[in-house]
Amino acid sequence: MSKKTKLSPMLKEVFAHILKKPATRKYPEVKPKVPEGFRGKQIFDINFCVSCGLCARDCPARAIEMVDVDGKKRPLFHLDLCIFCYQCAESCPRNAIKSSEIFELASTNKSDLVVRPETSTKKGSDE
Amino acid sequence: MTSVEKKILMLLSDRLGEKILQIQTPQLGKVFVRVNAGVLRDALRVLFEENESAGISAITGVDLGKSIELMYHVRTHGTIITVRTEVPKEDAGIESITDLIPGANFHEREVADLFGVTFDGHPTQRRLVLPDSWPRNLFPLRKDAVIASIPNKLENAAVSDEDMQPSEGRTLIKVVMGPQHPALIEPEKFSLRVDGEIVKEVEPRIGYVHRGIEKAAENRTYLQDIYLVERICGICNACHAACFCQTVEAIMGISVPPRARYLRTVILELNRIHSHMLLLGHAGLEIGYETLFQYMWRDREPVMDIVEWLTGNRVIASFITIGGVRRDLKEEMIPKIKAELTNLKEKMSFYKHLFDSDPTLKMRTKNVGVLSKQDALKLCVVGPVARGSGVNMDVRKDEPYAAYDEIPFNMVTYNEGDSWARLMVRLAEIGESINIINYALDNLPSGPYRVRVPRIVPAGEAFGRVEAPRGELFYYVKSNGTAYPERVKVRTPTFANILSFVRIAEGGNVADVPASFVSLDPCFSCTDR
Amino acid sequence: MSLNLEFVFRVLVFPGFAFVLLFTMICDWVERKIEARMQNRIGPTYTGPAGILQPFADFVKLLTKEDIVPLDTKNFVFRFAPILSFSIFVFAFLFLPIDGANVILNSSFEGDLIFVLTLVSVANFFLFLSGWSSTNPYSAIGATRVLTQFLGYDIPLFILALAPAFLAHNLSISAIAVNQRFPFALLIPWAFVLFIITLQAELEKDPFDVPHAETEIVGGYETEYTGRRLAFLKLAKDVQIILGAAIAVELFLSGPYGPVFFGLPVFWYTLWFILKLLMVIVITEYLTCVFARLRIDQVLVANWKVLLPLSILSLVATIAIGLWLNPVVG
Repeated sequence: MSKKTKLSPMLKEVFAHILKKPATRKYPEVKPKVPEGFRGKQIFDINFCVSCGLCARDCPARAIEMVDVDGKKRPLFHLDLCIFCYQCAESCPRNAIKSSEIFELASTNKSDLVVRPETSTKKGSDE
Repeated sequence: MTSVEKKILMLLSDRLGEKILQIQTPQLGKVFVRVNAGVLRDALRVLFEENESAGISAITGVDLGKSIELMYHVRTHGTIITVRTEVPKEDAGIESITDLIPGANFHEREVADLFGVTFDGHPTQRRLVLPDSWPRNLFPLRKDAVIASIPNKLENAAVSDEDMQPSEGRTLIKVVMGPQHPALIEPEKFSLRVDGEIVKEVEPRIGYVHRGIEKAAENRTYLQDIYLVERICGICNACHAACFCQTVEAIMGISVPPRARYLRTVILELNRIHSHMLLLGHAGLEIGYETLFQYMWRDREPVMDIVEWLTGNRVIASFITIGGVRRDLKEEMIPKIKAELTNLKEKMSFYKHLFDSDPTLKMRTKNVGVLSKQDALKLCVVGPVARGSGVNMDVRKDEPYAAYDEIPFNMVTYNEGDSWARLMVRLAEIGESINIINYALDNLPSGPYRVRVPRIVPAGEAFGRVEAPRGELFYYVKSNGTAYPERVKVRTPTFANILSFVRIAEGGNVADVPASFVSLDPCFSCTDR
Repeated sequence: MSLNLEFVFRVLVFPGFAFVLLFTMICDWVERKIEARMQNRIGPTYTGPAGILQPFADFVKLLTKEDIVPLDTKNFVFRFAPILSFSIFVFAFLFLPIDGANVILNSSFEGDLIFVLTLVSVANFFLFLSGWSSTNPYSAIGATRVLTQFLGYDIPLFILALAPAFLAHNLSISAIAVNQRFPFALLIPWAFVLFIITLQAELEKDPFDVPHAETEIVGGYETEYTGRRLAFLKLAKDVQIILGAAIAVELFLSGPYGPVFFGLPVFWYTLWFILKLLMVIVITEYLTCVFARLRIDQVLVANWKVLLPLSILSLVATIAIGLWLNPVVG
C-alpha cells in the first residue's frame, strides 16, 4: 500500500502515555456523578399508593411483597432479589415509586436490603 | 410474500406435489410449509439444492400434547422458509439431516436433549445442553415433565469420560481446555487430541451454564419475559429484548411508532459498539497484548456512559418493551452523545492503523484459524465469523427491522477468513455503527415513543431475527391466547458458530487455539441459555 | 583467613544480600508503576506511599499461604530448585562492581564474564527443573518452553557479550566497566540494541513471554507452586531481571562509573549504577508494553534465523571498529 513501512502507532502512543494523567477514577475517594434517570434504590411514597398490587404482580424477579400496613396492603421491596428494572414504577398507576441516586447498597446485614413502605416517605434514606 | 419466496414455493410444489400438506403464512409474509415426517428430507434437499448458500438457521421443537412438532427454519436468499412436521410423542424419531448440511449437528442434539426426539443417523448420541447425570427419560421442555422431582444436589455425580472416541493406537495426548481455563472467560470444555504441537481432534462440550430460560419463559407473563430474556447475555442484552419484543409485536400485529424504531436502533448500535470493543480488548489479552486490552477498555468507557445516560444503567439496558421503548431521549442529550462518538471515531482510526501495521499482532492473527467460505456456508455460521470469510450475510440488510431500512450503512466483509479478518470486520463495524447512530440522532422523528399494548396476546406464532454483535439472533414465540407464552425458542449466534471452532482448530497449532477461539467471539451464556 | 567486619558487611548488607533484595523489590515496584503509566492506569497505590511497599506486601502474603506439594513430584528437586535458582542469581551479583568495587573485594578475575553468564544459565536451568519436577502437563509444557528459549538465546547473548570484552581487551566484568571512557552503547550501538532484545528473551518478557503465557498454559512452570516456594520463585525471577539489566549496565553503560561531583565516590558510583539500571529496566518494560506475545515457533525462528546471524555480524563489526579505534580505547 504505502511505500514506507508502517511503524506500529503503539510505539509512540505508549511512550506518550508515560506523562499523561492516568484514566483511573479513584473511587471511593472520588464519587462518580450519577446521571439523571439512573435506576438506583427505590423511593416509595405511601401517600400516592392505592394498594392495587400491580407492582408486585408485574415484578419479574418477584421481589415485591405486599405487606399489611395499618390495614392496607403496601409493597415491601426486597433489594436482594430486585433487578432494578423499574417495571414496578411503570406499572404503578399513581407514580408512587421513584428512583434515587443511591447505588452503594452492599451491606453485611440482610435487614438493610429492604425498602419498607412505612419508612420510605423521607427522600434519600441512604444506608 | 416476496417474489423470491413465491419462486421457492413454486419449486417445492413442483417437486413434492401433494406431499405438501399445507402452506401457511401465519406471520405477515413468512412462509410455513407443513409436510409429513417422511417427506422432510426431500423438502429440505430441494431447498438446499436450489441455493448453495442456504443454511439451517434453527430447529425448533414444540410440544403439542400428543405429538412433537419440529420446525426447520431454513435461511435462504436473505429470508427464512420454515418446513414443519410432526412426530408422535411415544416414538419420537426422525431422520437426521447432518449429511445434507453439517451445520445442523448441534441444533438436532439440542432438540434430542430437551424433547427426546431421536435423530437417526446423527454422528453422536451424547448430551449437549444437559449434564451427563441428568435422568435419561426426563425431557425438560415437554409439557408433562416434572422437574421438581430431580434432587438439587447430586451425590457422587460422575463425569462421563466417554468424551472422545479411542484414538485407535495412535499416540495422541489429550489436552483438556476447560471448563475452567484462563483463556476462556466462560465455562465450556474442549477436549483436544494433540500430536506434538498440532491439534488433531476437537470435541466441544457445552451446557455448563444451562439455566433453562426457555422453560422459565413459559411461567412468566410476556412483560416479565422481556427482563428474563435480557439476562440471557449481558453483553448483547438489548438485542435479546429487541428480538423478543419484535416477535411478540408481530403476533399482535401492531407496529411501533417511528420515534421508537429510531431509538431502538440507537440502543442496538450502542450495544454493538461496546460488544465489539470488549472483544477486541479481550483478543489482545489472549495474544498477550495487554496494552491493547487496557487502551481498548479505557476507550469503551464513554460508550458505557452513553448507555447510562440513555437508559439509566450501564450494562443491562432494559430500554425496549413491547410497543416501543420505555423512556424518551431528551433533546439536550443529543449533542453530548455526538461529541463522545466523535472522540471515539478518532480513536478507532488509531486502532485500525495498529491492526494494519503492528508486526507481532499480525504474526499471531494472520493465517491463523482459517475458515474457508465453503466451510462457513456448510456449517451455517453467522455474524462476523461469516462476514470474515466472505459470506454476505447481515440481517440488517436482508430483512431490515427497527429503523434499518431508512438508514444507509455498509456491510463489512473481508475475504481472508483468518482471525485477523474476523477482528478487522468487527473493528470496521464499530465505525459503521457510529455513523448509524449519528444519522439516527440527526433524523430522529418526533412523536410518541410507545404505544400501549394489551397484556393478553392473541393466539398465533411468529419468529423474529436481529443482528446481534455476534451474528443472527433468532426467536420463535408461540402464543395460546393467555397471558403466558406457550413456547419461546431462542437460537443465539454463538450456538450456530460453535461448530466452526472444531474446523478452525483442527490442523493448527495448540498455541493458536486461544487466539483463533477468541476471534469467534464466543459467548457461552448465550449458547447455553 | 580472619573474618573481618568489612567483608561481612559488604556481603550481607551493602552492596550484598540486603541491598540486592531491597533493590529487587524497588525495581519490581518501578516496573509495575511504569507499566501502569504506559497503560494509562495507576498501578500500586495503597501500600505505602505511592505503593512502594507493594512487592514487599506480595512477598509477605505469599509466605503466609499454605504450602501444597503434589503427591507425585520429585520432592527434593521440587523443594529446592527455586531456592537454588535464587541463590545462584544472587551469587552472580557478587561479581558485579556496584559501588566501584566488587562485593567481595578483589574477587574479580580474568574471565569472570564467562563465569557470570554461565551462572545465569545454570540458574535458568534450575527454573526449568522446578517446572519439570512438578508432574503437571501445564508445568511440563512451560518448563520445556523455558529450556528451549533460554538455551537458544544464550548463544547470541554470549556472542554479544563478547563485543564489549573485545573492545576493552579484557574478559573481566569490572575491567570492562572501568575501561569505558565512552559508554560502549554509544560506540557500538548495534550490539547494545541486540543485547537488549536478547535480554528480553532471556528474561522471558513480552514479546518472548511464551513460558508463562497464562492464557495458554495456566501458570507455566510455576503452576504447582504455592506459599513459600512460590515466593522464592517469584523472587528468583525478579532477581534475574535486575541481574540481566545489571550485566547490560556493566558491559555497555560503563557500570557504576560516572562523574563524581562531591563527597565520597562510593555514594556517586552507587547512585549512577542505580540510575542506569532503572533506565535499562524502563527500556525493557517499554518493549514489553508495545508488543504482543509471539508463539513458541516464532520465538525460535526469531532466534536462529534473525538474532544469531545478526549477533555474529555485530561481533565482526565490533572487531573492525575496535581495531580502528585502538588508540582511543587502549
